[in-house]
Amino acid sequence: MSPSPSETEAADHFVRLGLPRRFSLERDAIEDAYLERARVVHPDRFTNAPVGEQRKAMERSSALNEGYRILRDPVRRAEYLVKLAGVDVDSSDPKAGAPHMDQAFLIAMIERREEVEQARAQGASALEGLRGRVEDQLEEIFDRAIEQLDAGDIQQAALALVERRYLQRLVDEIDSSS
Amino acid sequence: MAYSEKVIDHYENPRNVGSLDKGETDVGTGIVGAPACGDVMKLQIKVDEGVITDAKFKTYGCGSAIASSSLVTEWVKGMKVEDAMEIKNSQIAEELSLPPVKIHCSVLAEDAIKAAIADYQKKNG
Repeated sequence: MSPSPSETEAADHFVRLGLPRRFSLERDAIEDAYLERARVVHPDRFTNAPVGEQRKAMERSSALNEGYRILRDPVRRAEYLVKLAGVDVDSSDPKAGAPHMDQAFLIAMIERREEVEQARAQGASALEGLRGRVEDQLEEIFDRAIEQLDAGDIQQAALALVERRYLQRLVDEIDSSS
Repeated sequence: MAYSEKVIDHYENPRNVGSLDKGETDVGTGIVGAPACGDVMKLQIKVDEGVITDAKFKTYGCGSAIASSSLVTEWVKGMKVEDAMEIKNSQIAEELSLPPVKIHCSVLAEDAIKAAIADYQKKNG
């Protein structure tokens, strides 16, 4: 099999998996696309090929695995779409990196962390209640991020995704303390 | 993640944890966040005649973020405001031997002290 342009390293994960570049994708469709391509690029098929070909097959296979890991996870898929559109929420670059949250939001986050400490002192049920409320908010914010993404407002989508990360961190902290 | 001895020391015995009254005119408050990991840091200074007389912090984050803010509060006490303004994240990272993936924690601490000073100057400008 000769590598087509869609399999070069510059290709994005949607192209690599032959999927439309959008958030709304069926879980099964992503899995089917992955399994089909994983078979084709599997390094075992290239054991008799020249070393250069073997290495390329290995790279294609690992890029495909990476793409699958990202696209099958809704949060990572959304963050990846925002990244393709020019905002990398993993980066702190002032221009192309994660948007900075305003003071009011950060103050609220400090207060939420203090709430965790208080709930922890009150016991398991208080902590469970708090966790439930944060989970609801997480879902709400993620829905908002997807709406903005679908509407093409990348900045707002990135903002919601970063907000989601702070809240996710809060949930992680609750889980580590219970 | 292997933490350096200094990071562990600050993490286990953080200096100056707490809050100052942010309503007071001689108190400056800086609140900053790291979007990539969701860490949040609050750093406060109390200033008397251009000298930082007290500093407190509350950091919700990893050991390196806690150690970075703890170290900064220790450093700035007794320092002139303009000297505290000069603190660089590289100094913090060096003192704590932070690995490259944790450099952003020291950046957060530098941002926090700068934000606290800016808040104080705004109140007293």
